[in-house]
Amino acid sequence: MTRVNGQRLLVSGMGGELGSLVASLLEREPWVGALCGIDVDPPRRRLRRAEFHRIEPADRERIVDVVTRFDPHVLIHLAVWEPDARAGTAHARRFTADATTAFLGAAAECPSLESIVVRSGIELYGRHRHALTRPDETVAPHPTSEYGRMVERIESVAAAVAARIGVAVGSLRLAPVLGPHVPSPLGRLLRQPVVPFSVLADPPFAVVEDADAARAFVRAAELRLDRPLNVVAPGAITGLQAVLRGRRVPLPLAGPEWWITRQLSHLGGAPIPEHVMEVLHRGRLADGTQAHDVLGFQPARSTPEVIDRLFAWESVVRITKDQPPSSVEVVA
Amino acid sequence: MAQLIELPRRAVETTAAAVTTPFRPLLPDHSVDEWGRDDHLVRLLWPMARLRWNVGIGGLAHLPARTGALLVTNERRWSYSPLYVAWALSHATDRPVRFVGRPDHAPFGAALRRVGALLDDPTEVHGALRHGELVVAAAATTNHPRHAGTVDHEIVGAAVTARVAVIPVASMSSAFGRAARVEVGPPVRPRRTRRGPLAEIEIAEATRRHLQRILDELGGMQTGMPVVDWLGEG
Repeated sequence: MTRVNGQRLLVSGMGGELGSLVASLLEREPWVGALCGIDVDPPRRRLRRAEFHRIEPADRERIVDVVTRFDPHVLIHLAVWEPDARAGTAHARRFTADATTAFLGAAAECPSLESIVVRSGIELYGRHRHALTRPDETVAPHPTSEYGRMVERIESVAAAVAARIGVAVGSLRLAPVLGPHVPSPLGRLLRQPVVPFSVLADPPFAVVEDADAARAFVRAAELRLDRPLNVVAPGAITGLQAVLRGRRVPLPLAGPEWWITRQLSHLGGAPIPEHVMEVLHRGRLADGTQAHDVLGFQPARSTPEVIDRLFAWESVVRITKDQPPSSVEVVA
Repeated sequence: MAQLIELPRRAVETTAAAVTTPFRPLLPDHSVDEWGRDDHLVRLLWPMARLRWNVGIGGLAHLPARTGALLVTNERRWSYSPLYVAWALSHATDRPVRFVGRPDHAPFGAALRRVGALLDDPTEVHGALRHGELVVAAAATTNHPRHAGTVDHEIVGAAVTARVAVIPVASMSSAFGRAARVEVGPPVRPRRTRRGPLAEIEIAEATRRHLQRILDELGGMQTGMPVVDWLGEG
C-alpha cells in the first residue's frame, strides 16, 4: 500500500502508558507528519515532535476546538479508562463515556479525517455460559462485565460516526494489557504476595504486552484498518500457573470467601474489578491470528513471557543523579 | 516525606516455595495451550487411562500430518469413546487431539477442558479446525457397541467451512475388560460437490455409512450366546 507522507495523527489518551508508547513509535514513522495528543495527564515519555494538550475528558468544547483545528487524517482513540486501573468503576465509566463522545464527535467534524482506530478489549465477547473458548472477530459481542460494556459502546459509537461521515473505522480488541508502568488491576493483583485463584476452575487466559499493543495501533493507523481485530499474545496461562511463575503464595478459593478476599485485596491496594474476577473464574482467551493476516503483526512476547516480565519489573525504581532508572525501556 | 514500604520479597518467595514444593511435580507453571488443554496433565493421566483402556490403533496413515481434521467416532453409551480415542491418537501421533463435548460449568467442564475437551458448538469446533487441530466428535450414542449413530451435520459443517477432511474413526471397547480398538478410516469423499448446506448433510450421512462399514469389518466376539457376545463387546 502506498502511503502519502505528512499525515496528521491525533492520539486521544496520549498521557497514558499505552498512548505515550504509541506516540513515541509514531514519531519515528516517516509517513507521520504532525502528531497531536490530548489527555488529562501529561505523557509518560519524552516526546520530541508531538504537540500535547492537557484537557479533561468532560471539557468537550476545548477538545472539539483542538481536534477541529488540527483536522487529523487519522484519529487513534486510546482514551479508555479500565475500571480500577486509574479510577474506580463509576469514574472510569464516566470518563470513558465523556471522552468517547467528545473525541469521536469532534473527529466527525474534521473534513480531512480518513480513518478512526479505537482501543477495545476482548472483554466485549463476555464469558457467559457456553461462551466460546477462543472467540474470533466474527463472534458477536456479548459483554458480561462493566468494562466489556464500556468497550462495546466505544465500538458502536465509532461505527455509527464512521457510517455517517464515510470513513474507515478499525478497533483493536486488546487482551489484558500488562507492562512495567501500565496501571492494570490484573497485573497489580498478580504481584501481590498472596494471590487468590479459583481452585475449581483455574481457567486459562491470555494477555498482551503494552509495547506489542502499541505496535499494533501504529500498523492499524498506517494501513487504515477498517474492521475489528483481536490483539492477543500467543500462548495461555492459568491463574495458578502465573502465581507459581511469580513465586507468590497461591490462595485457593472456591466460593463465598471470594467476597472477603475482594474486600481485603481492595484494602491492600489491589481492587479486583468484575472483569478481572471473570478472568479468574471463566478465563479469557481470543483468537489473534487475523491481526497477523491483516496487519502483518506478530506480538514479540508470548503470554508466559509477559507474565514472567510482570514479576521481573521493579517495584521501586530509584533514580539518582548518576544512575538512570534501569526499568525504562526503549521500544524499538 | 513519604515513607516507602517495600514488599518483603524474600520472605514471600520462601513461603511460596514452602507451600508449593510438595505439589511442584503436579503443578507445572506453563502447560496449557491456547484452547486450555494441559499437555502435562494429559501425559500424567495417560498411564492411569491405560489401566482402563489398552488401546490398539490402526489406520494412522489416514490422519493428516500437519493440517486439521474432524474425526468422527461411534459411541456406545457410557463408553467415553471420544476421550480414549483422543488420548490414544494424541499419544500415537504426538499431536494434541481434542474432543467435543464438555459442559460449561466448574468443576467438570473446567477439568475436561484441561484434558482437551471443547464445547459442543460448531463455531468452537470450526475455530479449532481452522487452526489445524485434530478434533474428535462422537456420533449419537447407541446401546449397541457396533452400531454407529447419526452424525451431527452441524459439526460436520464446521469441517466443511474450515475446508478440512472428515475422517471416520471406529472405536470398540469392553465394559469389563481393558481391550479397546481404534481404527482410523480413509477421509470421506462426497460423491457430488455441493455449494450449500447439502454438503454437510451428505458428508454426515456418508461418514455414518463409512463408520458402520469399519465397525462391521472389525467384527465382534462370537460365542454363540448373544448376551455374552454383547457383554464381551461392552
